Amino acid sequence: MPPTAVTHRHLLDVAGCSWSELTAFLGATEAARAILRSPTGRSDALNGVQVTTLFYEASTRTRISFENAAKALGANVNSVAVASSSVGKGESLVDTVKTLRALGSNVIVLRHERAGAPWLAARVFDGSVLNAGDGWHAHPTQALLDLSVLVRHIGAKDGTLNGRRVAIIGDLLHSRVARSNLHTLRAAGAEVRLAGPAPLTRGFAELAEWSDGVTLCSSLAEALEGADAVMALRIQHERLEGGEVSSLESYRTAWGLTEARIASTAARECVVLHPGPMNEGVEIDPDVADGPRSLIFEQVAEGIPVRMAALWRTLRGDEPLAGAVRIKGSR
Amino acid sequence: MSRPRAERTLLTDHWVVDPVSRRAGVASIEVHSGKVARLEWRDGVAEARRTFIEGGEPGAKDPKRLVLPALVDLHAHFRQPGSEASEDVASGEAAAAHGGYGAVALMPNSEPTADHPALLRELTRSAAPRGLTLMPIAAATLGRAGAALSPMAELAAAGAVAFSDDGSPIADPARFRSALITAGALGLPLIEHCEDPSLTKGGEAAEGLVATTLGLRPWPAAGEFSAVVRNIALLREALRDEPRARLHLTHLSTAQALDAVRAARAEGLPITCDITPHHLALTDAWIAGDQRWAWEYSDRRPTQRTPTADAYNTNLRVCPPLRNAADAAACRAALRDGTASAIATDHAPHSREKKEVEFGLAANGIAGVETALSTLLAARAAGEFPLSLVAALLTTGPAAVLNRPALARGLAVGGSASLLVADLGATWVPSRTTLVGRSINTPLLGRSLPGVVLLTLVNGEVAWKAE
Repeated sequence: MPPTAVTHRHLLDVAGCSWSELTAFLGATEAARAILRSPTGRSDALNGVQVTTLFYEASTRTRISFENAAKALGANVNSVAVASSSVGKGESLVDTVKTLRALGSNVIVLRHERAGAPWLAARVFDGSVLNAGDGWHAHPTQALLDLSVLVRHIGAKDGTLNGRRVAIIGDLLHSRVARSNLHTLRAAGAEVRLAGPAPLTRGFAELAEWSDGVTLCSSLAEALEGADAVMALRIQHERLEGGEVSSLESYRTAWGLTEARIASTAARECVVLHPGPMNEGVEIDPDVADGPRSLIFEQVAEGIPVRMAALWRTLRGDEPLAGAVRIKGSR
Repeated sequence: MSRPRAERTLLTDHWVVDPVSRRAGVASIEVHSGKVARLEWRDGVAEARRTFIEGGEPGAKDPKRLVLPALVDLHAHFRQPGSEASEDVASGEAAAAHGGYGAVALMPNSEPTADHPALLRELTRSAAPRGLTLMPIAAATLGRAGAALSPMAELAAAGAVAFSDDGSPIADPARFRSALITAGALGLPLIEHCEDPSLTKGGEAAEGLVATTLGLRPWPAAGEFSAVVRNIALLREALRDEPRARLHLTHLSTAQALDAVRAARAEGLPITCDITPHHLALTDAWIAGDQRWAWEYSDRRPTQRTPTADAYNTNLRVCPPLRNAADAAACRAALRDGTASAIATDHAPHSREKKEVEFGLAANGIAGVETALSTLLAARAAGEFPLSLVAALLTTGPAAVLNRPALARGLAVGGSASLLVADLGATWVPSRTTLVGRSINTPLLGRSLPGVVLLTLVNGEVAWKAE
């Protein structure tokens, strides 16, 4: 059975994506960006398509950028507010998906707190499912937008990340962003260094052992050494209750990204990413988050063209993304 | 339903394995008025004995029809009373008969819990339209809550064959020790599900590469091991007060837990354990969509690192979770060296509503009573077990754990015939159509399996006959 990473029907995962598939995504992202830059800022490429966002977890960036992306392609967008819908009354995921199908949705963008939920949705939905984050497992469009930003800033001449070193710091155990980035960064040729407090890197020593080009480091300094990019992960307050982190202050002391730390060990032009939302002053210093190395707001903006590309390629495969709608009367 | 008596059944030149008399080879069996009237070994008794002991297998020219004593299951859930949408005694019994079983021990986690003599009596009275021997295992503590002991003496008098809080390990060590002593004084084993919930809370898949890759919450091997070690220590102490105390650990799944049992048995402790067909034959890589049998791995390295469209199949969610190929190999090694002496199905039917949900929210359990024999035959076909061991693990092994050797004596001449006939040369595919039980929550759906059960006789009556 082939991997389902990109079936041209669903976007469930980036695991198993080859570099050529990823470059096709980046190419579609360029086309999407051209549409956004045009005078109308939109296309009618997906006119008549009904896109529904179904988010079981709170989200600002991912949901809004998916909705804006769908609108920019001319699709109709609606959104299930989980708290005020039948879902809140205990309707199962399968029943909700079947209901959306009956109501005419062609695409479901699903965010769910359980790993694998999009696989379940895909098995009962005859349209397309896009994974907008499933539990600890995967966040494909975040990894794609991170890749897009990194290729632009630290990419090699051939457009890959060959010879580049990327550090991912923090709570790996609970991070779908880290898991998906591992796949895309490796496919792009980057070397990946991981680090974080031991209780929050559970399982990753073994994962690194079985993965070429991935190292689990025992300190922030080791992970940052020679890094061309560093990605800080959000530290969630629940980790304090679980005892995995003794205090935010101790976390900052050992693992917080500060300009001094980056400057002393990383590559001179090292860039900084964060998937958001940030705890400034914990996993990342405000000076770094707002400083010249930071690509954090560029990541957020990148979400729209990347998600346009994701919607387009999921529905239309390799077909080139059509151009922008012209202003009436212009040529 | 009416139970057709096996008036006269002639099984001429079948491959027969009888772990009770320890004989195997080509034989002819005549069943008359429900009794085994005749059993003749074609090449003589001495040769049949040698064939059994040496693990002799049927050759290319030998018959493909296999006869075994009807199988014995130590561990099944028929969901009655309480969850009849998933299974009831009649549907579970039919499923067991289809699987070649003649006797099944039922775990007490019904609703209400089987902790009251009246409930046990009702179960044994109402049950078994097909005539299978259904044996209640009573709860060790009231409501399986781990606090007050159940009325064990009354439950034993009402027909309990063992005590267990299966699914809810007895957390309090003092209570566990008391349960061992009280059950032992009644001559019955305590069957324990070994799990330390403080280590396994929220666990979705075995801790390891597959769980890490798929983002599933880890269920560590130590969650089983620490409970096994504690229980062995408590057994050692309980024996000082009650020399008849006996402990049986069910569905062990890890190499380290089995090593602990091996050492305890070497020490002479009265401890036994069983293994399920799924833990010896499947691995956690199935959750990612890799569907190789556990013995098809040449090394530990899981090759399925990217989930397929079939990934996160909730029919693979089970407790304890499926483990890696090395643990599955340790399960098979333990069965070969006698550390584990029985296969138990842990037949755990669940309705579609409980399984067609997110992986981490799905009920734990695999419906296994119809596929156990075929799974063992698949392992045998790969050279993992000789047929004589498969037969023993499914009959005399579990009967010995319950200290009821008669359960496996279905081929004894002059006694009631309890036996199965299976076609070793045929295959079948589990599906809604071919499975008989009410719930079909097995990861083996759609997979071609060796060994088709053609006939199951229980106490001289036809419990299952293929169309």
